[in-house]
Amino acid sequence: MGGQSVSQTVTVRLENGLHLVPCSRLVKLGNGLGCDVRIRKGSLDADIKNIFDLMGLAAAFGDQLELRATGDGADEALAKIVQLFESNFGD
Amino acid sequence: MLVKRGIAVSPGVAIGPALLFGAENFKLSRHYTSKSAIETEIGRFHAALNAVCTDIEENQRVATERLGKEYGAIFGAHVLMARSPELVSEVERLIREETNTPERACEIVLNKYAKLFQELGSRYHAERAQDIYDLKNRLLRQLLGKQRQEMTDLTEPVLILAHNLTPSETANLKREFVLGFVTEVGGPTSHTAILAGALELPAVVGVGEFLSEVTSGDLIIIDGDRGEVIINPIESVIAERRAAQQKNESNYAALEIERTAEPITADGERIQLLGNIEFPTETGHCLERGADGIGLYRTEFLYLGVEQEPSEEDHYQAYCRVIEDLGGREVVIRTLDLGADKVPSVGGLPAESTNPALGLRSIRLSLQHREGFKTQLRAILRAAAKAPPGSVKIMFPLISSLNEFRQAKMVVRDVMDDLDEAGESFPREVPLGMMVEVPSAAILADQFAAEVDFFSIGTNDLIQYTLAVDRGDPAVSSLYRTGDPAILRLIRMVVAAADQPNRKIPVTVCGQMSSDPKFLPLLIGLGIRRISVTPHSIPELKAVIRRLTIPKAKDIATHAEWLGLSRGIDNYLQGEVSKICPQLVR
Repeated sequence: MGGQSVSQTVTVRLENGLHLVPCSRLVKLGNGLGCDVRIRKGSLDADIKNIFDLMGLAAAFGDQLELRATGDGADEALAKIVQLFESNFGD
Repeated sequence: MLVKRGIAVSPGVAIGPALLFGAENFKLSRHYTSKSAIETEIGRFHAALNAVCTDIEENQRVATERLGKEYGAIFGAHVLMARSPELVSEVERLIREETNTPERACEIVLNKYAKLFQELGSRYHAERAQDIYDLKNRLLRQLLGKQRQEMTDLTEPVLILAHNLTPSETANLKREFVLGFVTEVGGPTSHTAILAGALELPAVVGVGEFLSEVTSGDLIIIDGDRGEVIINPIESVIAERRAAQQKNESNYAALEIERTAEPITADGERIQLLGNIEFPTETGHCLERGADGIGLYRTEFLYLGVEQEPSEEDHYQAYCRVIEDLGGREVVIRTLDLGADKVPSVGGLPAESTNPALGLRSIRLSLQHREGFKTQLRAILRAAAKAPPGSVKIMFPLISSLNEFRQAKMVVRDVMDDLDEAGESFPREVPLGMMVEVPSAAILADQFAAEVDFFSIGTNDLIQYTLAVDRGDPAVSSLYRTGDPAILRLIRMVVAAADQPNRKIPVTVCGQMSSDPKFLPLLIGLGIRRISVTPHSIPELKAVIRRLTIPKAKDIATHAEWLGLSRGIDNYLQGEVSKICPQLVR
């Protein structure tokens, strides 16, 4: 995988935290990407394609998450994910 | 290799792959599969997973439609969890590397995830853990349920190993692919036993818990002569049992020579030897072994494995087929003998009873559910028009009082009036008889004798009711004694009552007792001259009859009564019959 790696921090603004439905949105988005995306909360690290990992972050309202995309199209991928958080997982 | 013992209920030896039918509950019956079954098991897991996901997606569609997209999305997330590559690959790994069954693998993996969520501590995550448990249960239900469904779409010959088989399951199975049966529960009068006998397949029941030690696909030997089940037998044992199987067959073939011989005792007494059947196709099994007719046609199978009660036409077609095949020989058609234990809920019949054996069943059910009873009687009477007069007889089961018999008789008269009005042809004089299987009927046999045309002693229920023992219950099954002096006395009472100076009524014995050669001299000694048996046992019974004399039979009966409660009675009878007919297989 190409070395390009970009990262950005987002804040969870979902009232119930990053619960099952938003996690599933992230997985679906992740499955469509050509690059690797990892989401970190403190010492916890999750693969965006793994719903159990994401649920395991137990990210609550106000938590800060570090998104890191590595590989082809990492910039674009990161932008899409950030957009999802900024729209607060709206449609 | 593992040998399990149970009750031998249908003779013969079968060798082949096992097909397991687990218990209904989620207690996982087995944890490990065999190496050769790994790919099959992985396929089974994927089939279950797909079915579960299809179910959840359907929920998603309904939820989206009724409650909105956000609710539907919850189910979408569940599908995502179910299909997550981590979950799938971990289950696959456990099956492949640890030879876990899919059931066990799903349990391990999903429990792990659920526990992980629980440990996150929040109420929200605790609830998600519940979602995962729910997903696990759905998968298990599919995996266990799928196995049970396979019975209807068997594609290769198998031995059926089950906790228990319901009548509807057995009614629907593809008989050409079933080589034999083993069940954890059940006794000689259990449904599986009767069915195996009817299909002439080896069967062992009441083995106790053993399914956890077997995997579908394992090689199994069912020895229906010795009551043994051998799991993954070693080569020498396979060879030994195959030899036994062949010897059985050749012994049986030797007895088959008796087929054309008449069942006449050595001193010239003609014994009527009839067959018990459940399916019209069995008529042939009886006739090719030289039966005098059908002494017990159990009509319950018309009611099983169907969505609704059989129509008059369903009944009529079945009866016509039997009558046609019999070519003028007699047939005793027993009216519905369904109880709470045999798929009750068909056609709105009342279900569930706290004490099924003593509840609403058989003739009691027919008398309360008049329309269904009349439908069956109409069909019998119409079919009887195609047979020689008197050759089709109607028998009512579980008669416990004179009043009950009279009521049943009245319903027959009503049906005749209806048929008259409709201009249908039917015989006016149809012999009407009863099963003697409730002690009250045996005790008052002299009073019944004045009103019935024939008796048929159903030993299975008569023993159960007289001794108050459920033979299917392993805790008390040793108390079920076929040769109990109380049973012998009741049989004598019925024989005596039927032998009135002015009126002699035929008495038949049907049930497991009459099919067992060792009881035959005893029954003849007690005065029985008609027996109705599983078709398979006709040749060997005929062989015994032809070597027996009436005085000898009477001696045996007297001695058996004298033995009384002694446990030696079975051995004594077995010894006697072996002396009379040494070439008997059993």
